[in-house]
Amino acid sequence: MNQETGASQIPESIPGWGSLEFSRRMGLKALGVAAAAGGAGALSQSAASYAASGSNVIKIGYVTPQTGALASFAGPDNYVLKLVKASQYFAKGIKVGATTYKIQIIVADSQSSPTTAAQVTTQLIQAQGVDIIVTSSAPETTVPVSTVCEQAGIPCVSTVCPWEAWYVGLGGTLSATGAAQSGAFKYCTTFFFGVPEFVNCFLPMWNRVQKQTHAAKIYAGMFPNDADGNAFRAAFPPIVAAETKNAWKFIDGGAYQDLSTNYTSMIQTFKSGGAEFFVNAPLPPDFNTFWKQASQQQWRPKLATVAKVMLFPTDVYALGSLSNNVATDAWWTPYAPYKSSLTGMTAKQFAIGYQQFTGQQWVQSMGSTYSLFEVVIEALKKVKNPHDRSAVANALHHVNYTGISGPMNFNAKTSPAPGVAIIPPVGIQWKPGSKANVGGKVWPWSPYVVDNTLNKQVPLTGVLRPTNK
Amino acid sequence: MTWLNIVIQGALVGGFYALFACGLSLMFGVMKVINLAHGDVAVVAGYTAVFLAPKFGVSPLWSFVVVVPVFALLGYVVQRTLIQKSIDRDPFTTLLVTFGLSVLIENLLLEVYTANGQSINIGSLIGSSFQLSSTIYISYVSLVVLGVAVAVLGALQIFLGHTKTGRLIRAVSDDREAAQLSGANYRHIFGIAAGIAFATVALAGIAYGMTTEFAPSSGVTNLIYAFEAVVVGGIGSLWGTLVGGIAIGIAQQLGEHINPEYQVLAGNLLFLVVLAVRPNGLFGKKTAPS
Repeated sequence: MNQETGASQIPESIPGWGSLEFSRRMGLKALGVAAAAGGAGALSQSAASYAASGSNVIKIGYVTPQTGALASFAGPDNYVLKLVKASQYFAKGIKVGATTYKIQIIVADSQSSPTTAAQVTTQLIQAQGVDIIVTSSAPETTVPVSTVCEQAGIPCVSTVCPWEAWYVGLGGTLSATGAAQSGAFKYCTTFFFGVPEFVNCFLPMWNRVQKQTHAAKIYAGMFPNDADGNAFRAAFPPIVAAETKNAWKFIDGGAYQDLSTNYTSMIQTFKSGGAEFFVNAPLPPDFNTFWKQASQQQWRPKLATVAKVMLFPTDVYALGSLSNNVATDAWWTPYAPYKSSLTGMTAKQFAIGYQQFTGQQWVQSMGSTYSLFEVVIEALKKVKNPHDRSAVANALHHVNYTGISGPMNFNAKTSPAPGVAIIPPVGIQWKPGSKANVGGKVWPWSPYVVDNTLNKQVPLTGVLRPTNK
Repeated sequence: MTWLNIVIQGALVGGFYALFACGLSLMFGVMKVINLAHGDVAVVAGYTAVFLAPKFGVSPLWSFVVVVPVFALLGYVVQRTLIQKSIDRDPFTTLLVTFGLSVLIENLLLEVYTANGQSINIGSLIGSSFQLSSTIYISYVSLVVLGVAVAVLGALQIFLGHTKTGRLIRAVSDDREAAQLSGANYRHIFGIAAGIAFATVALAGIAYGMTTEFAPSSGVTNLIYAFEAVVVGGIGSLWGTLVGGIAIGIAQQLGEHINPEYQVLAGNLLFLVVLAVRPNGLFGKKTAPS
């Protein structure tokens, strides 16, 4: 996702999870930046005393990639912040013990760069004296921000980053099968999902299409030589093999370089191997190039389930008619029966409001960004002093509530690691828009929920069809 | 058959590299200016095709009809104002100025059009191809791009060799002072050369926009391959640029065939080998430094 990914030679210290070593180092690098900015000693722990512990203001820092390659994740920021600030706790203050505290949100742009993310986090802590930091969007943002927070002793909530990347980035280790092995973090929490959920989101769709078409149970993987690509290559096929008793055969397209111009050789490999299903974790322009070339080379898999791309409408519009029936995951949709824990606004109202406010189609990152602030409020409700970092961090680790992203439990028995809440994704397919969709406006392309194996509460809005007949 | 496919697919990509590199080669050959904003100009052309051409009622497929003349004019203006000013100071300034221009363009695009990926949508045509043998498919769009590259370079070759303006460009390129003494307005000539360079890179930008998704920061990616094509082919030789582009394309294809990891590496290796063995490139003139 950034240049360092391609450039760094990654030592294979954890079998099969070599790439995650990268994200751990990204965290270490963040610490280096923090140290350079103000001296790690000054920053660590003692930062707590810096904040005006007696003040009646709770300051929340929000680190987000508003510019740069990840900017599409931050698209809903303005709208979400507007709604959050208008909600009662943020507009009128929150009563903790006998005191009513005002809440202030300070936004910082990570510019899609891990280095900048660490720098702005340090500034938020040192110059602004924030009490809590929330952050979203890809390991490039959440890992450096969380690392600085853990070191400085600032409670932190993050989202939209596979939990494995976050966990290893903070210094945790994973077993060969991708389970959390060691590492618990006092100040940092996250809610999202991981590679097993990707498998369990995509596999049911493969099985259904396979039954319809009687296609061979062979799937192709397009995984680049970067953090996400290597993580998928390491974990995805073993989990599929374990869950299906080796019923599915995997064809690896090879660890290509990001932003390659030509994929015909890889496509030839998939074709000659008889691959009928397709999974990937590429950069958006690379999927665009690949998918056009696959069509030119007449490789037409029965079902394409893509990860990391086609999450937002812009990728889909850019690909045009070739987007039809390409499937991916959605961690938030307006169709779920969920409501804001801050205002009671429904997911549907939330999405319609976004479309009216921005004139653009709803995007799934709006739900997770909104929930960052819900989680903070849930934690603040449970503490006696909002400036008590340890208490707030502890409360964050025990948040268990239902909000706009659905039920979320940071201390569930099923949590893969302490402080990790899993929000299960559903399978969506892009199809031409329809009036029946949320808001009633017809967009050129809309996501339809076609598989809800992982979350039955989200109703289906479309029928799963093969990507190619 | 596999080898034939490698050569064919490599040549198709190479055609795009050559089209992209042609303006770079021309500007360096004539003005001795390395335009670091070359790739960004291509990206701007892509954005123009996506956002401005439709306002004139031009379909994406035909957007070049509007975009290319506009960029020719733009090239002339940028050369006469910005780049000429820096040439007048010293050659090093041109590097700084074009680098600054690159940064400026990238950030302006980001400000106006955000980081969202864009593509020039030409419908199902982009996915169509014809079958040459059981395993070889040739994309219409790639074939047209290769054809355009050959046509553009051929036309330029004829233009430079057989027209008055073309001869003036070569004269100014060979010896600016002597051409000036003979009455040539070298600034105007430079402007024309830059106009041609911008027009060709606009074409390349449109081809790029059709075949992939671009964002404000996409310009740099192809600039490297374009540089390599120019150096491999030989500076100052337009046919050399075509051959250089195709050679890089085939090398990358060969690398990808061995292992997808080696695609980019193989092109770079070819570049290094040519640089070591034939520093003037395959078709470069062995001229004494001026």
